[in-house]
Amino acid sequence: MMESADSKFRLVKMDDTASEHINAPKYSYWAAVFKKFLSKKSTIVIMVIALTVIFLSVFDPIISGYDPVVHQNINNASMKFLHPSLKYLFGTNDLGDNLWNVVWMGARNSLGIAFMATAITTTLGVVVGAVWGYSKSMDKWMLEIYNIVANVPFTLVVFVLMYVMGRGIWQLIFAMSVTSWLNTAYFIRVQVLIIRDREYNLASRCLGTSTWNIVKNNILPYLISVIVTSVSRDVPSFISMEVFLAWLGIGVGEKTPSLGKTISGNRTFMTNTPYLFWIPVAVSAVITISLYVAGQSLADAADPRTHM
Amino acid sequence: MKRYVWGRIIRAIVSVFIVTVITMVMIYTLIPRELIFKTDPVYVKLGGKDDERTQYRYNTYEKLGYVDYVEQKDMCTSYAGGSYDACMAVDSADIQSILPKYEQQGYTVQQFKSGLYYAYRDVPLANQIVSFFRNIIQIDYPGKITDPDNPDMKRGLYVAADYNGVPAIQCVGCKYKYQWYLSASFPWIRTNAIHISLGQSYPSYAYQEIMDVLNSTQGTEKKVDETFETGYQAKSSLILHSCQYKQTATLDRLDKNKFSDNYANCATQKNDPSMVGMSMKIGIIALLIAYLIAIPAGMGMASHKDKFGDKIGTVYINFMIAVPSLAFIFFGWSLGTSVFHLPSAFPVLGAHDVRSYILPVLILALLNTSGIMLWTRRYMIDQASSDYVKFARAKGLSQREIFTRHIMRNAIIPIAQSIPANVILTISGAVLTETVFAIPGTGKLLPDAITDHNNQMIVALTIIYTSLSILSVLLGDLLITKLDPRIQLEEKSGGVQ
Repeated sequence: MMESADSKFRLVKMDDTASEHINAPKYSYWAAVFKKFLSKKSTIVIMVIALTVIFLSVFDPIISGYDPVVHQNINNASMKFLHPSLKYLFGTNDLGDNLWNVVWMGARNSLGIAFMATAITTTLGVVVGAVWGYSKSMDKWMLEIYNIVANVPFTLVVFVLMYVMGRGIWQLIFAMSVTSWLNTAYFIRVQVLIIRDREYNLASRCLGTSTWNIVKNNILPYLISVIVTSVSRDVPSFISMEVFLAWLGIGVGEKTPSLGKTISGNRTFMTNTPYLFWIPVAVSAVITISLYVAGQSLADAADPRTHM
Repeated sequence: MKRYVWGRIIRAIVSVFIVTVITMVMIYTLIPRELIFKTDPVYVKLGGKDDERTQYRYNTYEKLGYVDYVEQKDMCTSYAGGSYDACMAVDSADIQSILPKYEQQGYTVQQFKSGLYYAYRDVPLANQIVSFFRNIIQIDYPGKITDPDNPDMKRGLYVAADYNGVPAIQCVGCKYKYQWYLSASFPWIRTNAIHISLGQSYPSYAYQEIMDVLNSTQGTEKKVDETFETGYQAKSSLILHSCQYKQTATLDRLDKNKFSDNYANCATQKNDPSMVGMSMKIGIIALLIAYLIAIPAGMGMASHKDKFGDKIGTVYINFMIAVPSLAFIFFGWSLGTSVFHLPSAFPVLGAHDVRSYILPVLILALLNTSGIMLWTRRYMIDQASSDYVKFARAKGLSQREIFTRHIMRNAIIPIAQSIPANVILTISGAVLTETVFAIPGTGKLLPDAITDHNNQMIVALTIIYTSLSILSVLLGDLLITKLDPRIQLEEKSGGVQ
């Protein structure tokens, strides 16, 4: 009996790799991010809206060939103040221009300014913040600088810089990013301080994982979620800032179209032809809300702790 | 603790100083000086009269401290060599002999079209900055006033009854007559002995002290029956406690009717609150409403986490954070004016009608709610998952007891930290809301100063806003140490941050 039972078994060699595969299910960070991100229907809807808005802002000015300086129908009274219709989806304005084109042209510049300012603040902020979090000697100095800068109201900085440098797209980008990168850097510093000395990183190091692998596999995925959170806050707030400054007459220059300029330029039509004012306002709200919500969902999805 | 607070205050002063100096350097080096005349009506009116315009320009520069400026008459007065009249002739030999002296001192000499000379030299930026900081604190004393027409006034302080019959410390020879006096409203003891001066405004609110622009009442004059010290009776809006010395040469008949001494230059009382008062009034009521809505809402969201109410609240918070505040303000504005028939702008009904305040206050309150809700919810949830809460639950405390006795007390601390900042920063006003409703508050001062090229105002507002925000952070930190004795601001040696 014993012999027959033994004959059913066969001795196998120990297989390290197979044991690894059995113990841990296959996990790819980015695949998990996208799976998580696309798991909610509302997120997909918001994402589609955000992408449409970006698509229109990028391609409508190219397709329509709208030139903000040339007003083709300026002497054609029959083209002015046409209410929204199928042909002119957003109607036409006081200069006989198609508001659809005016709005997307403005949105392109506003989005461009916001993305550019966000890119600058995020890049500088993440790089400086990461070093800041690691280096104790730098921490002392950077904290002093941060304490001085963080106490100056942001609007004050932007106002004074726009006043000193004059109006324009690049001036605006500079004014908006010159101090705000420090906030991002501080934010990243705190995150780095939190995760640097976590037990799992310590364990990894004890097990002989290289620093690069720790950064790549342990720290970066966590930071990505933090960075996306900060980006999704920055872009809408920069767009709002642009609208805010344009309303007060200190935004981009006279000749440059932007969402804020369109809104503040059309405020005189608020009572007689309200669509001229409300459509750009609504578009600005749709842009900021969709980008913010999509960004927040992406940030949630990018957090490895939600992948369980 | 005391040492720590003083350390913070010194650092704060250094920060304000650095920020102000950077602002001044940028403004005074990068902005062309002539731009200040762009919106000055007097300067525009002088178009075509070149000499008068030049004269006006350099006089203004001198008043603002940009240049030292002398005209031929000044040069001739200070010239001892010959007669004044001979010197004042066009291209006289006397003036020719004086001019090189001025050139040596760094003046640029130029000629009016009339042939008379004038000379100017730039005041170095460092001197402008030093004199700005030196003049910030103005102390009044009996030797302050020099009046050639009143050489032997009996200078000194004395105690006497003021026009209300209340004792006050008064002064002869000071800039202000009433040095220390009692007032019926807060602060009850007031003084004119120390004033803060942040320079004079120009070109908007031309030559007014910036602190007065911010603090003095606005609107129509508020006249009351007044019996002056001379026995003269009239309806008057003068604030007698604010009277300043007026040079004897400029005293007119009206002044002499009302006052027995030279202190005849008084501020006037007006009906509407000052800019700061207006912004604070609206801002603080809005803040109160915001806290009353947002804290219960945030707590409710936290206690029903992931339920329907929490999700609605989260949508609301995300919406409020993302939507441009301009869009939200106009949304509220159009709803309020069309559905509830509230005034579309503040001046329609004015400062004395409650309806003027409803819309701006509500809009401002709602704008504030999202942040407070977000953080209240966050802190409550963080506390709810901590060990002491689990222990309290294990002890058998009810959910309600845990919430009010334990979680609330800990979660309220970080919320309280931002209260001083929110209250103090109402002084700087809500730019957009005040612009949309045309509210005469402080919010529009900075954007207006920028369009008017009012450099003095920009520097003054920089120093005010920066000091206020630093002060509010400090007060917030001190407040939480009072609320929670475990919190210590000082870093213990060897501790982690």
